[in-house]
Amino acid sequence: MMRGGRSLVSSPPAFSNDAKKLLVCTSNTVSVFSTVTGLLITSLEGHTALVTSVIVVPPSNPAAKVLCYCWTASLDGTIRYWDFSLPELMKTIDIRMPIFSMVIPSFLDVPAEENGKHQDLFAYVSIEDAKETQERTKASRRQIRKCNLSKSRLVGRLILGETRKPEVLTVSPSGKFFGIRNKCKLHIWKVLDQGSERAAVRKITLHHTKKITVIAFHPTQRIIAAGDVTGRILTWRGFGNRAFAASNGVADQKLINVQEDKPGVRDNDDADSCSTWHWHSAEVNVLSFSSDGSYLYSGGKEGVLVVWQLDTGKKKFLPRIGSPLLYFIDSPDPTLSSISCADNQIHLLKMPSMGILKTISGIKAPCCYPDMYEGLGNGIAFDQTAGIVAVRTENYCIQFYSLFDDRGVSEVQVCERNHQPGDDVTVIVTSVALSIDGSLMSTSEVKLAEEGIGGLVCLKFWDAGSQNKEFSLSTIVYEPHRDAGISAVKFHPSGNMVVSSSFGGDFKVWKCNHDVIQNDQMRQNFSWTCHAVGSYKKKPMTAAAFSADGSVLAVAAETLITLWNPYKNVLLAVLGETLTPIVNLSFVGKSDNLVAASCGSNPQLSVWNMSKLSLSWSYKLHIEAVASAVDLSSFAALVLLPESSKKTTFKGMDGVILLFNATDPVPTVIWSVRKAKGGALCFVQVSPSSVEEISIDGKAPEVLLAYMNGDHEYVLFDPYCKDAREVSVSQKEGLAAHDHKGQAGQYGYASIYGELPEFDRKRPEAPWVPSFPSDRPWETIFSGSSHNLPPLTKLCSAFLESLLEKRTAAAE
Amino acid sequence: MAEIRAEEPASTISKTFLIKPKLKSKPRSLPQTPESKYWSSFKSTKIPNLVSSISSLSFSPSPPHLFAAAYSASVSLFSPLSLSDGDVSPSSTISSFSDVVSSISFRNDGLLLAASDLSGLVQVFDVKTRTPLRRLRSHTRPVRFVKYPVLDKLHLLSGGDDAVVKFWDVAGESVVLDLIGHKDYVRCSDCSPVSPDLFVTGSYDHTVKVWDVRVENSRSVLEVNHGKPVEDVIYLPSGGLIATAGGNSVKIWDLIGGGRMVYSMESHNKTVTSICVGRVRKENDGAESMEDRILSVGLDGYMKVFDFGNMKVTHSMRFPAPLMSVSFSPDCRTRVIGTSNGIIFAGRRKGKENVESGRVGNVLGFESISESERRVLKPTYFRYFHRGQSEKPTEGDYLVMRNKKIKLAEHDKLLKKFRHKDALVSVLSRKNRENVVAVMEELVARKKLLKCVSNLDSDELGLLLTFLSKNATMPRYSSLLMGLTKKVIEMRVEDIRNSDALKGHIRNLKRSIEEELRIQHSLQEIQGIISPLLRIAGRR
Repeated sequence: MMRGGRSLVSSPPAFSNDAKKLLVCTSNTVSVFSTVTGLLITSLEGHTALVTSVIVVPPSNPAAKVLCYCWTASLDGTIRYWDFSLPELMKTIDIRMPIFSMVIPSFLDVPAEENGKHQDLFAYVSIEDAKETQERTKASRRQIRKCNLSKSRLVGRLILGETRKPEVLTVSPSGKFFGIRNKCKLHIWKVLDQGSERAAVRKITLHHTKKITVIAFHPTQRIIAAGDVTGRILTWRGFGNRAFAASNGVADQKLINVQEDKPGVRDNDDADSCSTWHWHSAEVNVLSFSSDGSYLYSGGKEGVLVVWQLDTGKKKFLPRIGSPLLYFIDSPDPTLSSISCADNQIHLLKMPSMGILKTISGIKAPCCYPDMYEGLGNGIAFDQTAGIVAVRTENYCIQFYSLFDDRGVSEVQVCERNHQPGDDVTVIVTSVALSIDGSLMSTSEVKLAEEGIGGLVCLKFWDAGSQNKEFSLSTIVYEPHRDAGISAVKFHPSGNMVVSSSFGGDFKVWKCNHDVIQNDQMRQNFSWTCHAVGSYKKKPMTAAAFSADGSVLAVAAETLITLWNPYKNVLLAVLGETLTPIVNLSFVGKSDNLVAASCGSNPQLSVWNMSKLSLSWSYKLHIEAVASAVDLSSFAALVLLPESSKKTTFKGMDGVILLFNATDPVPTVIWSVRKAKGGALCFVQVSPSSVEEISIDGKAPEVLLAYMNGDHEYVLFDPYCKDAREVSVSQKEGLAAHDHKGQAGQYGYASIYGELPEFDRKRPEAPWVPSFPSDRPWETIFSGSSHNLPPLTKLCSAFLESLLEKRTAAAE
Repeated sequence: MAEIRAEEPASTISKTFLIKPKLKSKPRSLPQTPESKYWSSFKSTKIPNLVSSISSLSFSPSPPHLFAAAYSASVSLFSPLSLSDGDVSPSSTISSFSDVVSSISFRNDGLLLAASDLSGLVQVFDVKTRTPLRRLRSHTRPVRFVKYPVLDKLHLLSGGDDAVVKFWDVAGESVVLDLIGHKDYVRCSDCSPVSPDLFVTGSYDHTVKVWDVRVENSRSVLEVNHGKPVEDVIYLPSGGLIATAGGNSVKIWDLIGGGRMVYSMESHNKTVTSICVGRVRKENDGAESMEDRILSVGLDGYMKVFDFGNMKVTHSMRFPAPLMSVSFSPDCRTRVIGTSNGIIFAGRRKGKENVESGRVGNVLGFESISESERRVLKPTYFRYFHRGQSEKPTEGDYLVMRNKKIKLAEHDKLLKKFRHKDALVSVLSRKNRENVVAVMEELVARKKLLKCVSNLDSDELGLLLTFLSKNATMPRYSSLLMGLTKKVIEMRVEDIRNSDALKGHIRNLKRSIEEELRIQHSLQEIQGIISPLLRIAGRR
């Protein structure tokens, strides 16, 4: 079993100490990416639920920079300690409560080992206490607690705070403070020096009138910044001067209170001043101080990273990121940082110039469109031979994602529009189809009308260049079916024919004309023209499919299935009738069966026998997707479970995948899945090139079934292997790892002076006793400067030896 | 016949030996280089009829920079100002010499003039009254040169055929030092522009010696060998380099580097008789600076200008006689050349008369240093802002092209500024159908078209209606425009009722729609006729 397509942006990532690795929480695992190549190096597997925090242990001294230890916390209630270079699990702490967030402020004080006693390491966790439901209200079950990591337990009954929602803890870079946001308030705790574990932690609260979304601490000074839902950024300076600094003098406090005037600070909050910046139009999601504390980075829904100069309030922008920002992480290397975007991309930034160096590209999330366009299909197309899936994305692109490598391959912009997050959607990519060899693509898009004026349907044909998989536009057809929308686009198995069916009552067969232009480079020029138009009783055409040999074209005319000869455009037969309109047609491999899925109030899965032209069997099932392999007699269907059966039989699972043999109405295998709505299915052929990577119990499977759920997470498995369902994938570690040294990864000493010459490497190569290449070796032994010469004792023996050799040669 | 033939070769041979005098001096280098333009801009004046060879020329260091010429047994003073008026007669003449005058030298304030003659006498004259103030007699043989130090008013340097260089105290008419070291006639010398104690002398024994009067035993500090009898020697303005002339070569030596030869210029064909430092005005990166050159004249009749920064001859000029002496005025406006047959070719440049008259006198001898500093451009100059803009790329330069500017139409600019209504109006007034439709589609994509329509005032509405009446029935655009027409009429019905002009537009619109309906009707009729025929034809 191979999983992939997980979200890279569920929690903030973390850089390793040498800034060459990026640790990213990907659902149950932590993936370690190389920042140089952007490829996956390894992953830490062991958690059984979503990993919510990953914290890299900072180096205590410069030599410890190479150490790769990290703490992770997860919703499964465990905190784990890893060595992520190997990777190896070192320690597990089970606190039996889901952890939403964890911070470890006191790393800096830990290596006080010279006094013999290893001091305890404390973490602060945001958890949900599931046990105390009876006596407490639900509101107060989310708690902030302290955990002793060295002794592997929570600290007594010490509850620092309680919140209504699980809140994210934020720690200051100096490790002295941590805080949370709680609606319109900020709570800040001061971490006391290594006292007893029960030492009471002091807390202050700052108030604001709007809901606060994110907070950040200044690395050196007592400054805290917070962003709110309206896009304002508030900066409190000198917070906690009273509560944290002047600890005992109550009388003094009062005195100060009277005299001070504190501009901008609300109520009687404990801060010197509060200033406000407002640039963001929507809520602020990202807030981070630079490591020297002179700049503040902020970002939000606009997808623009703003750099504020802290003293002057001057701004600099990194615009056109194209997606709302979620996290900004500074690395130990001052020239590198990362931003995580909502479209599942992590961009590595080259720092002072803010150029995007590399992108770690996850699969993009499905885009949500207005309801009226829901039924137009999920916009997912598979390239069965190469194992690549094409998904439409929010920024009018088609993303190509490699299922085997679990990373984005390329992106093709379909519409010539700039996408700005938060804009109204005016263009929708309705469908995407790929030819079997993956070299041709067809997309259709709808420009939405403004109150009935100016809507436009557009069909586009693309072809890929020979070497690189860059698609280029070959033909645009405006209004292919007048103003009617396109219901389906399908490629002929040979690849030079496309059928597009429309709700307007006709379908068109498009044919490809190759022109090979004899330029300086051979370049194929594809142009597509309409080959035939067909309609059946003016009924809307809702689905279309070519048979495996390409001789029959099946087009669904609402409830009927019409069969055509695609070359001559002759109606062959009409198959008879389902209860509701058919939305999905598919021929089952090379067999003479046709699967039709209809939806609506009376959903139906029906299998038609082509030789008898009759219905062989049918089920009343709500079908989300159907997949059939080219040379198999079976097909798989993704079924949405009705609401009634969901709770009782299938604990939270909302769909099943059924694998049928086309002639047999009894499914051969059933798998239950989550998030089936909007999912997709496909049989993926395992090409010989990737066979050595994928093996199941030693032998390679011919075909894998790919299931992609509504969140675009996918799983690849062998549908015919009953017991051993584990698909082991040998990691392509070498690919990512060997780029580590050299090139871009240099900084500090190496970037200024270049690599140090490797003295040790040289020594074994150059032999200790000099060799004598000339035929009169005694002449060369003593040549060279004196400090290079070997000791005299060795030289003497060599000298004598050379003389002896000469004599034997003379004797011969 | 035979006799004539015999004569012809003889005459040709004799012709080749003749130096054919050319009447006019003619620049040899290409005239288009800025430097040769500069040198050609000296307007030449001939001062004829001086008795014999011009042995020495010297400019007064103080304005108006009189120059003195020594010829035969007299010294004449000329005013460069009168030269530009075409007056070539000397302003005054000193003729109290008993023998041929060999050398003259002005004191650095220009008040006194020292002259030496071949009788061995050195005399110091007051320039204004022309009376001899001091007579320095110690040399036993002809004196070949006399020199006032640049930074010293009290002493004098002289030397001659007795191979002794004498350092005089002028006021006391006494010899301070006898510098003995040369083995042949001493012919020339120059004093350091940076130190009052240092000077060089050149001699026919091929050597040039550097002397320092502070050295006790009167021995030369440094000695370089020119390889030919040295005719002239000068310090270059930096004080670290000297140039020597001897034979047909001019050599440049580095004194600070221990007497190393830097370069040898050998472009003269005959003996170089005299050299001096000239200065050329240079436009460099928009900054105007003065650069120093060596002017050399020789018996071959050429004056050559040598750029010792780049080590090449930048200009040469031919004169119709062997040249004996050259001098260049401190204000860079006059250069004079003396020939062996008693003619002075004086060249004068046009320019502001009082350019440096104010300061040179005050700075005394320092002018050669202070002026050599480049004029640095400051932001107060206008030219500062144009510096480097006229620079042309050289061969090996890598050109970084500026991106081509994308020309945006006005409606595109307005769309970029989100001024949607203005964009629509501007494109409607341009009468380009495709552009109008494209702008409308963009507005639809921004969901702003109807807002625009409701904001149009009556004139602009008229524009829109004109466009619609012309194009609504075009099949290519009808899907968009028909819907729009309907909406426009619905939304703006009140305005249309109130305005006669708009009513007219609506009437036009109605007419074109009716026309289109008629066409469609007749097309349908034709289709009705044809389709049964096609059906029948298909059946057969």
